[in-house]
Amino acid sequence: MSDVLESFFVLGISHHSTPLAVRERFALSAAQTQELQKQVSQQVGIRECLILNTCNRLEIYALADSVGHMEALRKFFCQKQRLPAELFRQYAYSHKNLEALQHVLEVSAGLDSQMVGETEILGQLKQAYQHARETECTGNVLNRLFEKSFQAAKVVRSQTAITRGQVSIGNIAVDLACRIFGKLDRSRVLLLGSGEVGEKTAQALLSRGVHDIAVSSRTFENAHKLAHALGGAAIDFADFTEQLEHFDILICSTAAPGPLLSREVLARTMKQRPERPCFIIDLALPRDVDPSVETVENVYLYNLDDLSSIANENLEARKGEIDTARTILKKHAWQLWLQLRRRDLMRRSS
Amino acid sequence: MLQQIAMTDQNAFAIAAAIYGSSFLMGVITLLLRRAYPRALMFALLCGGFLIQTLGLNLRGAAIKACPLGNPFEIAQFLAWSLVLLFFIIGPAFRLRLLGFFTAGLAALLAGGSFTVPGWDRPYPPGIFGGNPWIELHASLAIFSYGVFAILALISGMFLIQQHGLKKKQFKGLYQYLPSVQQLDLMARRLLITGVLVLSASLIFGAVFWLNNHELVPIFKLTATCLLWFGYLLVLILRLQKKLVTRRHAIATITLFLFAMASLWPVESAREPVATPAERSLPTQP
Repeated sequence: MSDVLESFFVLGISHHSTPLAVRERFALSAAQTQELQKQVSQQVGIRECLILNTCNRLEIYALADSVGHMEALRKFFCQKQRLPAELFRQYAYSHKNLEALQHVLEVSAGLDSQMVGETEILGQLKQAYQHARETECTGNVLNRLFEKSFQAAKVVRSQTAITRGQVSIGNIAVDLACRIFGKLDRSRVLLLGSGEVGEKTAQALLSRGVHDIAVSSRTFENAHKLAHALGGAAIDFADFTEQLEHFDILICSTAAPGPLLSREVLARTMKQRPERPCFIIDLALPRDVDPSVETVENVYLYNLDDLSSIANENLEARKGEIDTARTILKKHAWQLWLQLRRRDLMRRSS
Repeated sequence: MLQQIAMTDQNAFAIAAAIYGSSFLMGVITLLLRRAYPRALMFALLCGGFLIQTLGLNLRGAAIKACPLGNPFEIAQFLAWSLVLLFFIIGPAFRLRLLGFFTAGLAALLAGGSFTVPGWDRPYPPGIFGGNPWIELHASLAIFSYGVFAILALISGMFLIQQHGLKKKQFKGLYQYLPSVQQLDLMARRLLITGVLVLSASLIFGAVFWLNNHELVPIFKLTATCLLWFGYLLVLILRLQKKLVTRRHAIATITLFLFAMASLWPVESAREPVATPAERSLPTQP
């Protein structure tokens, strides 16, 4: 068996190198992620593993008997997801050993996020870790590694101003809505799906004067519950397209496997309200709205990538903080690397 | 030194144009440096320019004993004055951001640009409107409606810029200071209605004169004015029927304003000064 940390690697795709249209093809539901994690952990030579699946990344962290297992895992993943190996090779990245360790720390601190400095990723990583630990997919090494990465993220947040000046998707959506409608008190909002990001965006709009909100979700109970929390009404998911003309702002965050709104539907809707603009915020992955909807007159469509690039427009001003954060994480990564090696050596000698 | 500068109408027009120009320049610098837009200062500068231009028009009007609309220079000055006056009505009431900046730009172009062609300020005999108050009202209303269409074109331009920013996902710079597309679109509709009403009223007053003095109104002027009126009326009808909205509406109003501006010069060239009653009674020269 090789040195334990010689065979630690991460394999994944993220917003850095993969466009939204390709990321959609790699998107997994929560159940699919759990299933994949279970199957990866059962692969020959894989000792520990964790899968992180968010709207911006899909990463497989694994501790194997040797680095050679990375290629086998790549093949297994493509086969399992019925994806062309070429596509995965074109967009996927991999890190090994200390580099992979540094990567985990940067992900947990939000440095690798699409909206640099965001803290949501830490919660998602903690959730993924908790599940992996409960299902015994992680062991001594990955447990220590991820727990230390959470601590490092906290240190970075407290010692740098990385989160300062960071703009949330909700705030950007509100600013864009103001550029389209001016005052929002007469705007009607429809929230499609009961996802957390969608809910936060709806709350941001409510805080800026929106009074009229409706929720529609595949599960009517979820829609009803969320509508009650937001002080709005729930509408039947089956016929939400018939009621689209009454809404000015549409927030889409469903887990639907394909687009729910086509160009034809929106063009028909806009004929009913030619003078009133329609603002669509598509937060779903895979996207809920066909990108060609953008060409419909008076429709303003923004997806996750658009909102994130707006959020990062003030990145230059925070560059100094990002560099400081990266230096702190490098120190943590090196210390952790040494600790893990020391433990491995002690385990071997005993 | 200031006391040595006589406040003639020409000086007043020049100072007003300089103030409009510097207001616009200040706006450009502020936006380029991404500083906070100085709304109050812009308003104050436009106020100053407007007062001085009013003084200039007043001096010119007293000299010619009529509304100063007798040559292209005066028309350009009156148009710029109407534009700024409309800004004072619309700007504070609807709080349209950057409207002052764009108004200053167009007013500087009209008021300052009229100085670049010396031939525009050609002299003409006093009482050009023949002492007929109806034709004077017709002329001032027509130019005022052009002022409405000028500010409509500005608002349509602002709409197109904002819409372009939103469609191309541009967030910073000029876009963040512009009013919302819905506000601009609504304002454009209101201005279109106002402009068509004012121009229609002007044409009604003009028609009263024209019915009694066919020979004094050049056919080119009549055709161009009627075409323009019909164009705006058609756009208004289509707009009210919701067939010409948002982007296409903005493009149509800008195009019509450019046509209005382009037709001003030939219309003015074709115009023969209206003879005063005294001149009309003079025997023709051999």
